[in-house]
Amino acid sequence: MAGLSIRGLTKAFDQVRALDGVDLEVPDGQLVTLLGPSGCGKTTLLRSVAGITDPTEGGIWLGDRRIDGVPPERRNFGMVFQSYALFPHMSVFKNLAFGLEMRRLPRSEIRKRVAQALHLVDMEAMAGRLPRQLSGGQQQRVALARAIVIEPDVLLFDEPLSNLDAKLRDSLRDQLRALQRRLGVTSIYVTHDQVEAMALADEIVIMFSGEIVERGDPVSLYRRPIFRFTAEFLGRTNVIEARLDGDRCRLPWGDERSVENPGIDDPAGVAIRPEDIAISTANGSDPHGEIAERMFLGAGTNYVVDAGGVRVRVNVAGTQNDLIDIGTPVRLTPPKSLHLLRRGRHGSAEALA
Amino acid sequence: MTAITEDHTRRAMAKRDQWARNRTILLLLLPGAGYLLFFFGLPLLRTVVGSFTSLDGAFTFDLWVELFSEPVYIDGLFFSLWLAIAPTVVALVISVLLAALLQATFPGRRIFGALYRIPLVVPGIVAAFLVMVMLDRGGMLSRIAEPLGIDLPRMVRDEWGIGAILASTWKNIPFMTLIIGGAMSAINRDVLHAARTLGAGRLTVLLRIQLPLALPGISAAVLLTFISSLGSYAIPNLLGPAYPLPLSVHMYEQGFRRGNWPIVYAMGTLLSVAAIFVLLAYYSLIGRLTGSHARREARS
Ligand SMILES: Nc1ncnc2c1ncn2[C@@H]1O[C@H](COP(=O)(O)OP(=O)(O)O)[C@@H](O)[C@H]1O
Ligand SMILES: [Mg+2]
Repeated sequence: MAGLSIRGLTKAFDQVRALDGVDLEVPDGQLVTLLGPSGCGKTTLLRSVAGITDPTEGGIWLGDRRIDGVPPERRNFGMVFQSYALFPHMSVFKNLAFGLEMRRLPRSEIRKRVAQALHLVDMEAMAGRLPRQLSGGQQQRVALARAIVIEPDVLLFDEPLSNLDAKLRDSLRDQLRALQRRLGVTSIYVTHDQVEAMALADEIVIMFSGEIVERGDPVSLYRRPIFRFTAEFLGRTNVIEARLDGDRCRLPWGDERSVENPGIDDPAGVAIRPEDIAISTANGSDPHGEIAERMFLGAGTNYVVDAGGVRVRVNVAGTQNDLIDIGTPVRLTPPKSLHLLRRGRHGSAEALA
Repeated sequence: MTAITEDHTRRAMAKRDQWARNRTILLLLLPGAGYLLFFFGLPLLRTVVGSFTSLDGAFTFDLWVELFSEPVYIDGLFFSLWLAIAPTVVALVISVLLAALLQATFPGRRIFGALYRIPLVVPGIVAAFLVMVMLDRGGMLSRIAEPLGIDLPRMVRDEWGIGAILASTWKNIPFMTLIIGGAMSAINRDVLHAARTLGAGRLTVLLRIQLPLALPGISAAVLLTFISSLGSYAIPNLLGPAYPLPLSVHMYEQGFRRGNWPIVYAMGTLLSVAAIFVLLAYYSLIGRLTGSHARREARS
């Protein structure tokens, strides 16, 4: 096994540049998720790696072997599609055996390996069924087994869970992660769902308009993103224009905070995650603003507060707090130290997410 | 009322309901089924009855005796089948490859996709003349080949009907390509891509994924080409040999030249029955091919 390197990958279609000079390293055995809005080039990147699409420029290496130009059938990459893409006229067994037959393995070996792979995804009982006799979740498990049974050097996932309903998606996501860890296959996982990206990834790569915006491990990318686009696409966040003064900033409702990364170029504002702001009723003291909207979600409550002319989202977790009524004057307590975001060329992701 | 009679009446009522429902279904079917019966069933029946009726209206087996005792007609039947099966097979192979090719994107695909349809708008008789101009002794092809020292075999009015087969093939390729291409483009692209990533080359994908999934379209195309070639008159009449003549030409000769309609009816019936047998053979072959696949699958 080996890591995957993508350098300067560009794909120009007639009208658009779907990829524009993408550089990406996937270390051996790691799972990288590509996260970005629809149309940003995720599928094109994945297909280029699989060999289904020919890139216009750039190269792809597996270890030190250059593979762009190698036809897909000789790359030994497993791919899982959003549409499952099972062979509709073949049984589950035959679907899994297909890749092994292409490798001219003896029949007994094929039978053994298919059984093992079906066991991994808990589908042994379904070997004789046709794909149309399975539910969506079962079909995707078969598709996963079909991709891993060939013992691929790289696994590629193109939004494999987005056609499934929410509960199933969560459980399949966890199974998939456990399986990938166990097999230790170098993987690229494409998604537009930020929760999925964070739950699965060793590293998240944020894409927009054919380019990589930024990358990082889920924790640092969530907590300390460089760009406004990343902060807004990876979860929700308040981007608040604050008056900067050295390493201090003044928030619109009057509070002052320190800035942990002062002196960056083209600052867009400070990021305050809705779950990081504490909220309390003013009770006679000077209020910062008042509740404009309230949404009770069971596990918590989301508020929108009108504070100093800006709308601030505040999420309160837990079920034991008293709900605050709309119109109530409140005080806000953001964290002691705030993170400044760069505007970048990508702008805001609010409308996209 | 006792329980037994109650049960009895209930069952009788259920039966009456059933009848009423069946009657309604029959009435609803009448426009469609009636149309089929009137415009297809009746002429077919007329043909079969006609094949047992002599010129003066009496019942007779004579026509069938004549058909099966005269070598002209026996040879004609086999030549008809040859002139229908051979172009169907050749056109099928070419159309499948063409349809698969048209699934891919390549430069000039649009122009190519338009050009291959030209034979669609050329009537059979025009196609026959085109082939004659090209392939006949002293035709365009031999005039090109002669200076190169190549002596082309006789291809027009030859005993194998090569010219007729070429003309039918040429004429039917676009039909078949259109139908098979339609069936192929209905296949999810990801399924083909999945096969590639699993290790299948283009040819394997064609044989193991595209062909089986496009089978309904392929069968429809085979049926249409076979039947239209079986009944074609202009092409074998112009390009075929003087002997044997296919039954379609015999039917024209006997009917319009000699007014011998009873034998025309008998030949029509024979041709239809033969067509049914050929198609049954086709479907059993397909069933055997896909069935053996399924059996192998069940065993492994
Ligand atoms: N075969 C194609 N021909 C032309 N444009 C394409 C083709 N495939 C993708 N595109 C364009 O390339 C861009 C990226 O597409 P895609 O990689 O599918 O994005 P994503 O998977 O992130 O939604 C889009 O603007 C899309 O319209
Ligand atoms: Mg996509």
